[in-house]
Amino acid sequence: MQYINRLRQYGIFVVFIIICLILSLISPQFLTVSNWTIIITQASINALLAFGVTFVIITGGIDLSLGSMVAVTGVTAAMLAHPDTFPVALPIFAGLLAGLLMGVFNGFIITKSKIAPFIVTLGTMTIGRGLALILSKGRPISNLSDSFNFIGGGNIFGIPFPIIVLILVFIICSIILKKTLLGRYIYAIGGNEQASRASGINVNRVKMAVYSISGLLAGLAGILLTSRITTGQPNAGAGFELDAIAAAVIGGTSTSGGTGTMTGTLIGVLLIGVINNGLDLLNVTSYYQQVVMGTIIIGAVVLDSWNQKNN
Amino acid sequence: MKYIYSILILSVFLFTSCNQTKSNEKSEEKKIKVGVTMLSMQNEFIVNISDEMNKKAEELGVELITVDAEHQPLKQIEQVESFIAQKVDVIIMNPCEVEASSPAVTKALAAKIPIINVNSATSTKPTAFVGSNDVESGRIAMKFIADKLGGKGNIVMIHGFMGQAAQIQREQGAKEILKEFPNLKLIAHQTGEWDRAKSMDLMQNWIQSYGKDINAVFAQNDEMGLGALKALQDTGLKDKVIVVSIDAIADALQAVKKGTLDATVFQNAKQQGAGAIEVAVKIATGQSYEKEVMIPFMLVTKENIGRFLK
Repeated sequence: MQYINRLRQYGIFVVFIIICLILSLISPQFLTVSNWTIIITQASINALLAFGVTFVIITGGIDLSLGSMVAVTGVTAAMLAHPDTFPVALPIFAGLLAGLLMGVFNGFIITKSKIAPFIVTLGTMTIGRGLALILSKGRPISNLSDSFNFIGGGNIFGIPFPIIVLILVFIICSIILKKTLLGRYIYAIGGNEQASRASGINVNRVKMAVYSISGLLAGLAGILLTSRITTGQPNAGAGFELDAIAAAVIGGTSTSGGTGTMTGTLIGVLLIGVINNGLDLLNVTSYYQQVVMGTIIIGAVVLDSWNQKNN
Repeated sequence: MKYIYSILILSVFLFTSCNQTKSNEKSEEKKIKVGVTMLSMQNEFIVNISDEMNKKAEELGVELITVDAEHQPLKQIEQVESFIAQKVDVIIMNPCEVEASSPAVTKALAAKIPIINVNSATSTKPTAFVGSNDVESGRIAMKFIADKLGGKGNIVMIHGFMGQAAQIQREQGAKEILKEFPNLKLIAHQTGEWDRAKSMDLMQNWIQSYGKDINAVFAQNDEMGLGALKALQDTGLKDKVIVVSIDAIADALQAVKKGTLDATVFQNAKQQGAGAIEVAVKIATGQSYEKEVMIPFMLVTKENIGRFLK
């Protein structure tokens, strides 16, 4: 019985391994170092967004403005990343700041107005898209400096820089969630907000913190994306929030709040990445790709609710 | 001091009265009013057409009311309805969709307001059409690949959003050429959703599965072509693979100049935008006009790039 429980607990990990096994049997290129380098690099942007939104979802909230924040921060960074103007630190700083500010704005409105996060972030999603278009005048911003383009395209000891960022952010987020007081408060609020408030937790401050983290990481994702495709695009990131939320949910984060882990989200991110990559390798039509992806998301949630019932 | 003030006041008065007589003169001519609804002002090429329209309108003294349909045919129909209610002289529509935007044409014609389609077509025939035939762009791009490869090789194609007019027509044009060259093989095709990052990912994955077998990439727009190009450059394969795309956006022209992108196909935003306004003025003033103004596409390569760079 204990074995079965454990299997359920790591259900998504088992699914992940099985899918990898199947893909490596059908496609000889799948299980190579170069292919995995590509999978993880491609997944890094979604990973940053998914880590951020995992905090938010555990508190029982949601952040739909992720994709728009990616666009705003990407465009902001690109505007300052023209060669021979500013040192590369400035566009990075400005991009992160833009993301942070939007996150703080989300948190501020959500805590002060008591409007559902779904509605508030739906609003900031639209505002953000507009801001990105205003800043860029509706056109992509190109001709960025080499040092800026290194962030998304460069290697350190043969490891692509986005993978290094992914690993660092994963470690930091895991520590915040598992080892800090903030992490414990995040779980507490998601489990029972009233009780947390009664026990003296400053609920508003914790919520501010999670939306700010989400914004900051969206800023980092925006910088990474812009530098990877060497252009800042106002349309970038459309729909990214859904991939990020899907990754968190596949990884076992419950949308009703209170449960979820960074490791789970990481597996969710990699699962999405592996499926995208595998279906491309097998040259499966994109129509079917969408059906497969949707099925897996629903499957993961069913598995999750099944787990909760049994616990 | 008082003198200076009175001179100042007097000059201001003179200046404003001058302006008034000027604007009076203009309103006597009665400005032509044109309602414009554009597919999406988030698309660089469409923004370019709109900018060219504004320039031409200013030059000819035409008043433009430009609105953004945000890719939604229903919204576009409502916008045309509101133009009809405002009694504009001419409507210019950059259709969202072949079928779904057609009711807008029917409504305008029923209200006896001339309507011009710019850039792409609707199934209902408007008063006039100014634009290009996207099938031709696909043909030009694929013909270039066929010539470069000597009619033999493996090709991958990156589609735009599946089902959109531009995607269907560009694919059709490319396939027409492929039929002529039986030794050109389309080994894979997939959508990149007009997006650079998506196409870069897609190309990376293709490089994994097909690697050195790929001889050429045809991307249905420049954004996707540039994404594929980046993936090829990163893996050091670019020298062996031909990359061709369509639209001739600024980034693509720079890439052609550098010799990284082999070719792009130039769609003339300037002639489309300015042409639409010219036809609108002709219709409004009762002059004769062409029912169909077809603006040809042009292949842009390193040899003729100078003509396209500003």
